[in-house]
Amino acid sequence: MPPKAKAAAKAATPDPKATPEATPETVGERSKQRFYQTNPVQKRFEEVGFPGLTPAEKKTYAHANLILPVANRLVSLSNKSDREYWKHVAKEGLPCRRLSKHGYRWGEDKHGRDIGTYRLDELKKRTLSQARLTALDVLHRQFLTRREAARSEGGEISPEEVDEEKNRRKEMAELKRELYGEIPGPLASDPEWDDVAPIPQTEPEDALAKIAYPDEYAEAVSYLRAVMAAEEYSPRCLRLTERVIAMNPAHYTVWLYRFKIVSALSLPVLDEIQWLNGVALNNLKNYQIWHHRQLLLDHHFAATLSADPEAAKQFAKSETDFISRILAEDTKNYHVWSYRQYLVTKLNYWSPFELATTQSMIEDDLRNNSAWSHRFFIVFSNPSVSTPGSAPTEHDPKIPDAIIDREAEYAKEKILLAPQNQSAWHYLRGVLVKGGRGLETVSDFAEQFFSDLGGQGESVRSSHALDLMSEVYHKQGDVEKARLCLQRLSDKWDPVREGYWKYRLAELK
Amino acid sequence: MAAAAVGQQPGPAHATGPSIPSLFTQPPVIRDELETDSSHLQDETVDECLPFLSGLEHDKVNAHGVPRLDRERHARFLRKQLGALPGAYVGADPSRPWIFYWCLNALSLLGEDVEPYRARLVETVRFIQNPAGGFGGGFGQASHLATTYAVVLSLALVGGEEAYDVVDRRSMWKWLCQLKQPDGGFQMAVGGEEDVRGAYCASVVISLLNLPLTLSPESPARAGGHTDLLSGLGEWVRLCQTYEGGVSAKHGVEAHGAYAFCALGCLSIIDSPHRSVRKYMDMPRLISWLSSRQYAPEGGFSGRTNKLVDGCYSHWVGGCWPLIEASLSGPTASPSSQPLEATDEDDSLFSRNGLIRYILCCCQDMSKRGGLRDKPSKYSDAYHSCYVLSGLSSAQTKWRFVASRADETLLGDDRWEASPHTGGVQIFDEEDRIATTHPVYAIPPHRVEAIRSHFLSKEGF
Repeated sequence: MPPKAKAAAKAATPDPKATPEATPETVGERSKQRFYQTNPVQKRFEEVGFPGLTPAEKKTYAHANLILPVANRLVSLSNKSDREYWKHVAKEGLPCRRLSKHGYRWGEDKHGRDIGTYRLDELKKRTLSQARLTALDVLHRQFLTRREAARSEGGEISPEEVDEEKNRRKEMAELKRELYGEIPGPLASDPEWDDVAPIPQTEPEDALAKIAYPDEYAEAVSYLRAVMAAEEYSPRCLRLTERVIAMNPAHYTVWLYRFKIVSALSLPVLDEIQWLNGVALNNLKNYQIWHHRQLLLDHHFAATLSADPEAAKQFAKSETDFISRILAEDTKNYHVWSYRQYLVTKLNYWSPFELATTQSMIEDDLRNNSAWSHRFFIVFSNPSVSTPGSAPTEHDPKIPDAIIDREAEYAKEKILLAPQNQSAWHYLRGVLVKGGRGLETVSDFAEQFFSDLGGQGESVRSSHALDLMSEVYHKQGDVEKARLCLQRLSDKWDPVREGYWKYRLAELK
Repeated sequence: MAAAAVGQQPGPAHATGPSIPSLFTQPPVIRDELETDSSHLQDETVDECLPFLSGLEHDKVNAHGVPRLDRERHARFLRKQLGALPGAYVGADPSRPWIFYWCLNALSLLGEDVEPYRARLVETVRFIQNPAGGFGGGFGQASHLATTYAVVLSLALVGGEEAYDVVDRRSMWKWLCQLKQPDGGFQMAVGGEEDVRGAYCASVVISLLNLPLTLSPESPARAGGHTDLLSGLGEWVRLCQTYEGGVSAKHGVEAHGAYAFCALGCLSIIDSPHRSVRKYMDMPRLISWLSSRQYAPEGGFSGRTNKLVDGCYSHWVGGCWPLIEASLSGPTASPSSQPLEATDEDDSLFSRNGLIRYILCCCQDMSKRGGLRDKPSKYSDAYHSCYVLSGLSSAQTKWRFVASRADETLLGDDRWEASPHTGGVQIFDEEDRIATTHPVYAIPPHRVEAIRSHFLSKEGF
């Protein structure tokens, strides 16, 4: 048995140059000091090597290094030598417990900083935090056990305890982040999600266009993957989708999943729409919102509206009201107009009201081509006056003349206000095609927008009128006049399209 | 107003006076008096562009008033986009494959070798392929036709068997069969929206991967009497043409430039363009509408009637022209080795001068940031960089549709030939000529060739 070492102070220090050492600043320095304190002659050994040591130092060095091997019986000594040996050790006060030669690795903190470089007070703080975390973890495990027990008896743990646990996890999360850089987000801290094992993003370190996801997003989508894989459709999943959408409304997968939840749980569509309105107002350019809305419409229609015309009408009204609100902010929003068309078709909402609201948008801005397009749709796709499946570019004999007249007049009226507005000209042409009427039926109208073509007093107020008239003249066999229109367009009135006008000229032959 | 400014400002544009046609320095000759929100925005855009078009905003312009293409700056921007991105990019999380395609394609157009990205791309996309077929926007995201299209094109861009064979063709086919709808069109995702992007993306994927066309028994399209992935697709696309002549996302909506390209691309895959485009589109109205997208003085294209120019339509609208020309001319089996004679005559249907001017003068971010953009007031991004450069390439190139597919079942197997466009005045410096991009597949033609021949050698799955 190794006898107890005498106090180091009493020991004859083998190093004659030893002076009282400075108080260490960092953990690493302290370790180093302790190493030399517990390894006498080591410093000298490092400086001069074994042959350079004095005979006394050599002896001390050898004795010190043999302590563990002898104690562990790795070196076998006779009883006498053994006694002799320990006598020496005791006499010289050689420390039995010593720091290893290989140094001590304190590890790194979350920033990759070696804890050995910590100041002593920093280490103390860290150690206290670790102790606190351990204590909390014990309480946390007790919570899990108690909950388990409560559930096995068909009960639930009290809400107070759950709240307490939530606070505990919050504190644990803070500590884990502080100590280890772990980011247990709000979901990991919520006992409600304990049964879900999140699926983190799997990706190589050097993946292309790798995004440094914000912690909360990374956490939310890792839970999302897990519940989607498990095909769970529950209220908590609905809340999770809301969380992800708030952080990234362009995440199409979460929208498709959300719709599945809404339908699986038969949630009230109107509540969902209500929620969606807020999201839409905050994300004007997002289009997933509008596809989601379309899916909701289908769902609502199949479940309720198809059998309840009054409800359908009301729904169409409230939807168009909301659409108008959005369009007031963003008058040409493609996805909103697109949804609006879907709505009109689905709910058979070919109403005068729809025509009127569209018309007022046209009148607010005659160049709002989206509004013109919508008008064309509600007028010429209305099943009560049109042939199903008739392409927008073809004549539909079913459209009543009165409608063709009305629409042509409407376009002309707007052209007069702004003759260079191509939206209205396109509309006029579209109407004539639908009505099976030739362009010549509007030649008197179109000719008023230019005069003295090719002459000294040439004046053109609408290049579109020239374009249209070139076709009329050509059809009437007056190739020269047609040519003149195209030539003047190319040379003067719309020269950026010179290539196109030349192509048209070549086609005249 | 801007014309007056030209006179006042000394500078590179002033002294020797580069020759810029007044078309591109003056407001249009016909202007309505009636002012509306749209006309205000249009006027603001013209005011915004004029200083760039007249050379005032540039340190150095050539004799035509056009600055150089700053390849290095743009390439740096694009390489950066492919690297680690900050958290602010979280909105791009569902569309990362697009970033791969936009950047790799733009870099290729700039003459950069993108093959070194192969290994990283392969490892990245492996995790976003779903076992049930197709690629999503990222790990654990639902498969989507747009991201699948972007992944397949990206793999084609880096090339090599290792890249091609990442794609699980059998599950891809099954998934596409699920997307095919009874009315002939394609949904973008299972339960997702059905639009003309779906028609184009599906045609591209099917033809590049040489997938079998027979519909799976479970396909919802079987309810519509379809037996084939592409049956009824042309008819479906036809109904997307609007009264204006352009093409909308789906039936009944407003004509939009991006959808015009999708429609023409799709039709040019399912059959040769001189047959399919002419069969399904009202050509005179389509051409008129496409041509109306080009504005002066800006020179660039807009996406819809009475909307503003945007650099991305250099591709969406600009890229329609080779397909239109091919539809009109049919295969022009002229001796291919002979380059076209240089001539002053420019038979283009659009103003290449205007488009190239808009691109080089207005769409380049000449600051440290680099990259290409919508218009001077907007930030550059990968999307615009890709499509602005694609449009530039197309405007610099004369594409000829040389031979129609010998075998009708070989989708997209038409022969196309590119040569530098020589008609008219060349306003850009020869060093600014960039690589060519396939008129249908929107990647360099040799990349199309390589991936096609790889998969043509596969029988079945």
